[in-house]
Amino acid sequence: MRTLSLYQEGDSIIHKIDPITKIIFVLITILIPIIMGTLNSAFAFLIISLTLVIIAGVIKKVLPIVGFTSIILVTVIIIQGLYYFNNRTPFFAIGTVVFYKEGLLYALEIILRIYSIINSVSLLMFTTKPSDLVEALVKKGLSPRIGYVFSSVLQIIPQMMSTVDTIIDAQRSRGMEVEGSFSRRIRAFIPLIGPAVISSLIDTKERAMALEVRAFNSRYKKTFLNEGTTFKYADVMQVSLISILIISIVLRFVH
Amino acid sequence: MSEIEVRNLHFSYTKGQEVLAGITLDLNLRPTAIIGQNGAGKTTFVKLLKGLLKPTEGDIFVKGYNTKEKSVAFLARYMGLVFQNPNDQIFKSKLIDEVMFGPLNIGQDEKTAKRNSLEALDLVGLRNRINENPYDLSLSDRKLVSIASILAMDTDIVVFDEPTIAQDYRGKEKIKDIIRYLKDKGKLVITIIHDMDFVAETFERVIVFNRGKVLLDGDTRFVYSYRDKLRTASLEQPYVMQLAQKLHIGTPLLTVDEFTDWFNKR
Amino acid sequence: MFFMKIITVEHLKYKYPLSDKLALDDISFEIEQGEFIGIIGQNGAGKSTLCQALVGLVPNFYKGSYGGTVLVNGINVSKTEVSEVASHVGLVFQNPFNQITGSKLTVYEEVAFGLENLGLPVEEMKRRIDNVLNLLGLYEFRDKNPFDLSGGQMQRLAIAGIIAMQPEVIVLDEPTSQLDPQGSEEVFRVVQRLSEQGMTIVMAEHKMEKIAAYSDRVMLLHDGKLIDFDIPKKVFSREDIEEYGVITPVYTRICKNLDIKDENGFYPITIDEAHERLEKIL
Repeated sequence: MRTLSLYQEGDSIIHKIDPITKIIFVLITILIPIIMGTLNSAFAFLIISLTLVIIAGVIKKVLPIVGFTSIILVTVIIIQGLYYFNNRTPFFAIGTVVFYKEGLLYALEIILRIYSIINSVSLLMFTTKPSDLVEALVKKGLSPRIGYVFSSVLQIIPQMMSTVDTIIDAQRSRGMEVEGSFSRRIRAFIPLIGPAVISSLIDTKERAMALEVRAFNSRYKKTFLNEGTTFKYADVMQVSLISILIISIVLRFVH
Repeated sequence: MSEIEVRNLHFSYTKGQEVLAGITLDLNLRPTAIIGQNGAGKTTFVKLLKGLLKPTEGDIFVKGYNTKEKSVAFLARYMGLVFQNPNDQIFKSKLIDEVMFGPLNIGQDEKTAKRNSLEALDLVGLRNRINENPYDLSLSDRKLVSIASILAMDTDIVVFDEPTIAQDYRGKEKIKDIIRYLKDKGKLVITIIHDMDFVAETFERVIVFNRGKVLLDGDTRFVYSYRDKLRTASLEQPYVMQLAQKLHIGTPLLTVDEFTDWFNKR
Repeated sequence: MFFMKIITVEHLKYKYPLSDKLALDDISFEIEQGEFIGIIGQNGAGKSTLCQALVGLVPNFYKGSYGGTVLVNGINVSKTEVSEVASHVGLVFQNPFNQITGSKLTVYEEVAFGLENLGLPVEEMKRRIDNVLNLLGLYEFRDKNPFDLSGGQMQRLAIAGIIAMQPEVIVLDEPTSQLDPQGSEEVFRVVQRLSEQGMTIVMAEHKMEKIAAYSDRVMLLHDGKLIDFDIPKKVFSREDIEEYGVITPVYTRICKNLDIKDENGFYPITIDEAHERLEKIL
């Protein structure tokens, strides 16, 4: 079954942590390095999130993302190394092109932050079932309708893609050439739009009715089959994480 | 030379899971129905004939052309395929334009394309509605539009994917007439279908697919007389045949008319 | 014996928005609890519209102009929210794919969807889900992704999702039209089992041999009008039935050609009846 979910089965301690705690963790790995604005804090969070990724056993899934991002981050090094507005101290030169220390340090900080965000977001996505994540949010007050959109889109988009494949086959079967020059490909696109729109409208209408007869818009207070990943230390962890965030803000203002 | 020659055909989407496991057969001018459960490999087989998929092993020759070597658009001149759901293909806002799309694609000139399209629309009974928007038609009429748009391409081979699905009695009668007309015009008609009684009344040859292989192949009457073998492919005989067998009638009777004639002559 | 009326339809008229033709034209009938009702008629006769009117999707989902009343178990469905009606009468559609919510990862959770919306306690939910999965022969698939099921299994899952809500009536709109023979057979068997358990069933269907075999009464629709509503033998023995774009079961056509009728002047409609009559002559 083609699905867009990134979830990786596993039974690590990270898998057992509830989604809300993980979301809070993602937030503080983003916020604290920004609030503190120091290289050390960025580095610390990278080490922490990387360790957690390894514990969760999903490092193999994260590495390709890190690799792909690195290609983009090279440009950050070049641009900041050359043009950062605080650049004063030349660090090294390639021919006549001079890289400055301030810019390179700033680039390093950005890179460390981005890597730690990638790690912590991956941690959330790879170790949490999308349905658990959405349910946790719905229990915290997210509208069930929006929750439904989030959780169904992962499965329904692949279904729509297979409809598009059928439509392409149907038009090719009528002699439509889909390969060749750019303008030919663009022209080949038109016969696909109408059927794709119509069939997704029909599907959406039918699915909306099917949801309706299953009391989707019921006025009862919704209950949940899965009581959710009950994690013993969820409260303790959430309180500690938020405390760390508050401490970092206080520290920041003290300085 | 047969219209279609299939030689030692193998196909798999993912390595190690063969959807088709060694099929060799020839398709000639007799209207042929391919039956079998979902997952037996029927749809994959048709996509391979059409060139939409290429064999992982073996060859298919359509009018002598190896499908591996020719593009789908090229093969479209020789074989038309009517998809199950008409909504997957209709995109023009005028019926006549929709039907002319295929003929123009395969190189018919404007005049021929128009003539063929009008003829095809006449056959399906929609000639008087050529300026309407296909989306304003009922689903059964849209099915007829999708059939007409393939017939107008005037290919020697016409393939139908589940033509009777969601059709009522009148729709089925119309499709039956179209298939007979195509046969009389000397075209090869192939269909994938679940409706055993429709096959009994309309097709001369039946090929039973089961787990990627051909389980039975031959005259409709011959194939349908193998009750137990059909059951291994989770298929049932046509209703008339079930009744005839229950009455221990020796002759394999396929249709209501055959049954009536037999009864009256006995 | 006392029969309770579970569905009462009076002078039901309905017109879709943007249409100038009545999709349902002054339809009145009553259905008793536990009956199996077949709805037949050509495409466009109003079968789907009637099915949707029984659960209130017509008019509440489409709007349009509506007249008359539909009472199911005493509830006026057009004046009640569809989600409220859902626990009294369920609807199964043609396309199994579009009935899968897409928000659940397993068959087990999929059945829970409606129950969560009704706000049932978890224990009750689990009890009901186990129950319907067993009843519909889906228990072995409980951990599978719904989209990985075959068409027949998916349609049974759609029925399971409805049955779990414990409606008094289940309406099925051509539930087997998109399935292969095995899938159709699975669905028919399940529906028959529900009927034997006393559930009221209303089913629109083109497979006349099945309608003849299962229905207590058959409703013949044409152009939005109710032409006939009677025991299947009587309806299928109408001389004018083909004028309504409906073909009779194979067995009926054979017996009609051979002029074989029962003592009441009706043609046989099932294989067993045809067999019995023909055997006597042969």
